[in-house]
Amino acid sequence: MSSYVITIGTVIVIYAIAACGLNVIIGYAGQVSLGHAAFVGIGAYTAALLSTKVGSSFWISLPIVLAISAIFGLLLGLPSLRVREDFLAITTIGINFIVEAIFNYVPFFGGALGIGGIPPIALFGAKLKGFAFFYLCIFFLLIVLAACWWFTRSWAGLACFALREEESAASSMGISPVRFKLLAFVVGTCMAGLSGALNAHYITFISATDFSFPFSILLLCMVVIGGMGTLWGPVLGALILGALPEIFRPIVDYRILFYTVMLLLMIRFQPGGLLGENMMVRRVLAKILPGVR
Amino acid sequence: MELFFEQLLNGIAMGSIYALLTLGLALVYGILRILHVAHASVYTVGAYMGLFLYKLTGSLLICVIGSMASCALLGVAIERFAYYPLLKYPPYVPLIGSIAVMLSIEELCRLIAGPDVLTFPAELPFPAIRLGGINISSALMAIYCITAVILVLLWYITSHTELGLAMRATSQDIAIADAMGINSHFIISITFVIGSAIAAIAGILVGIYFNQVYPTMGYVPAYKTLALIVVGGLGSVPGAVIASLLLGFAETLLIGLVEIPLPRDALAFIAMIGVLMWRSEGLLGSR
Amino acid sequence: MNQPLLEVTDLSKYFGGLKALDHVNFKVMPGEILGLIGPNGAGKTVCFNLISGVYKPTFGQILFEGQSTEGSAPHEIANNGVGRTFQIVKPFASLSVLENVLVAQGISKYNAFSKMWSAWKSKSEVSKGLKILERVGLADLAHRKAGLLPLGNLRRLEIARALLVGHKLLLLDESFSGLRHEEISRLEDLIRSIREDGITVLLIEHNMRVAMGLCDQLVVLDHGQKIAEGSPEEIQQSEKVIEAYLGRKETKDAA
Repeated sequence: MSSYVITIGTVIVIYAIAACGLNVIIGYAGQVSLGHAAFVGIGAYTAALLSTKVGSSFWISLPIVLAISAIFGLLLGLPSLRVREDFLAITTIGINFIVEAIFNYVPFFGGALGIGGIPPIALFGAKLKGFAFFYLCIFFLLIVLAACWWFTRSWAGLACFALREEESAASSMGISPVRFKLLAFVVGTCMAGLSGALNAHYITFISATDFSFPFSILLLCMVVIGGMGTLWGPVLGALILGALPEIFRPIVDYRILFYTVMLLLMIRFQPGGLLGENMMVRRVLAKILPGVR
Repeated sequence: MELFFEQLLNGIAMGSIYALLTLGLALVYGILRILHVAHASVYTVGAYMGLFLYKLTGSLLICVIGSMASCALLGVAIERFAYYPLLKYPPYVPLIGSIAVMLSIEELCRLIAGPDVLTFPAELPFPAIRLGGINISSALMAIYCITAVILVLLWYITSHTELGLAMRATSQDIAIADAMGINSHFIISITFVIGSAIAAIAGILVGIYFNQVYPTMGYVPAYKTLALIVVGGLGSVPGAVIASLLLGFAETLLIGLVEIPLPRDALAFIAMIGVLMWRSEGLLGSR
Repeated sequence: MNQPLLEVTDLSKYFGGLKALDHVNFKVMPGEILGLIGPNGAGKTVCFNLISGVYKPTFGQILFEGQSTEGSAPHEIANNGVGRTFQIVKPFASLSVLENVLVAQGISKYNAFSKMWSAWKSKSEVSKGLKILERVGLADLAHRKAGLLPLGNLRRLEIARALLVGHKLLLLDESFSGLRHEEISRLEDLIRSIREDGITVLLIEHNMRVAMGLCDQLVVLDHGQKIAEGSPEEIQQSEKVIEAYLGRKETKDAA
């Protein structure tokens, strides 16, 4: 496989991890988060700072990245979820802007220049690049997918689905809306943080604008187009939106228009996405992949 | 001291423009409970249409009327395609549709008119005046007067006309309004006509005042106006107006006078989160 | 046991100037079926919403098993064994009928961090779910998507869910509304069998024949105030009640 394809593949997998996280928040729990990129950024900056300023290896930083993503998910999720449902979308957009501004302006985060010189991930002393790194990312994606699958099988997941469908009925059955929405939010932000950390080590150079609002929209597109609330939807979405730039290279100028129109048509005519119920794609995949009914 | 007043006047101007935009958003939210993010792209189209018609005809009047008409049509088209059919789904579905519409329109503007910043060299037929040693340019006068007229007109329509009554009834409850013989879909479309036409005016004013028209000019207002309707209280038009004026104020004064290491745009969101912490339904919102 | 299961004192809910409920007092004794009746807009559903924690009272007190429910969120009240149905049915539309019921079964799991991660689709849970579906007559629709069901079945689903939660008190909000004749008598039998299990039932009903036939006691509300209280016979003869209903179509048998 050429290194070109590996590069695209790696980016797709890294995006898919973040998209899976967003899918937990918006697909499983029905909470509109339009600031997911901020949490990818928090994971990325945490990983970058730990490896460049403290010199710790990726494997040591990983639990810290997850913990920090969870903490920020908790801190920022709590006020967002307590406000009215309509406010949530706007609040998450605001979080995206504010986090981006903080990364951009506070010198500790390198300001507008960001953080560079992030070392690659090493496993048993060997630097993982190219193919090896791609496999590492696939490994993490599979763990994330397994976590999502477990989530849907657990009572916590069922509670989230109930909340998504009818919040008042769910709360009349002992489901605390704040607790479970927050739970889904934190799970989603942890996955975003993981994606960010992998991204930081891959690109080796990050800056605030990598995690701005348009990226949140891109992640949203992946989840919506692939199929909100499905297991493989975010992966499919990442595949399509990640591979498309390359396929459509000749019309690169029209690319964004193509995405947005596709998003609009999808949401207008098939809000369930490509893997939504009754879609052909889903029925075909159900025969091949586990976890698809 | 004069500097302060000049900043004050600029602040009121910015606030007025935000008010014109946020108004449309508040009207739409009030009636459909949808966050009409795409409103900012209607504003962008208003600016471009205005510029195009002005370059074509040289007449400010034609450019304003033509732009208002096209934006009204665009607004209704958005409502009929992306909002009304999606009302039965959870609210994030039309919200995503709105974002998709906004980005598509912005991209179309970029592809059609080019990515460069265009100039809008028009003279607004308002007198420049000098008040107590401070110059108020004709553009500023235009913004103040036009905003004031629009606000008064809107207030009059909503409180003293049948149309306004129908609009308020439909905002309360679409099903009941229908049952009372109000053609609710028509009223909804009218709301979009009004909001979009006002957005067109805002677009032209901004284009002339800053002498800049560019495809992403709606990007920042889109998010700020969202924060503003939250601060003002979702669905409350007076709240939106007050919040807009306050923000315009705060932005020009704070940035002009105080050194804060954060960009102006983040200020709107910080203010929003602050207000929400204090009063979760916004300044003038109702539970 | 002569302690009331639920006691409502001076309960009031004002929405701005509108007094939806105004100083209402009543008691529900354990094991009884109490009917809350009254013309439209009398405040019955508001009363339910106050009892189940959806609204906070403007004044007054609600005591469940002797303890005040003040400050309790709906899910906390549910945890105490109070289940409810909704006047406008709220099924989890994209989940199956069985899954809808399983959500209610999870009530013992949602509060413990250790328990909430276990799988819900175990054999024991599924058979428990199917049993309750059999009881309400929905067993053969177990795997149908809830959103596709007609109203009569949806009302039964609401009751199945509420039954799993309300092992002490069941709040039924117009569960007979929109049902056909056979469905009504089946539901009446179901409610009587629920009472036999020792569960107390508080129901809101517009169908007078059902209310009179099923309830041990009735409380009549009109314009937010209690205007009468007593056995079905007493209520049928009360002038105040007849006046409140005069001219309204609820007096006719809705079956």
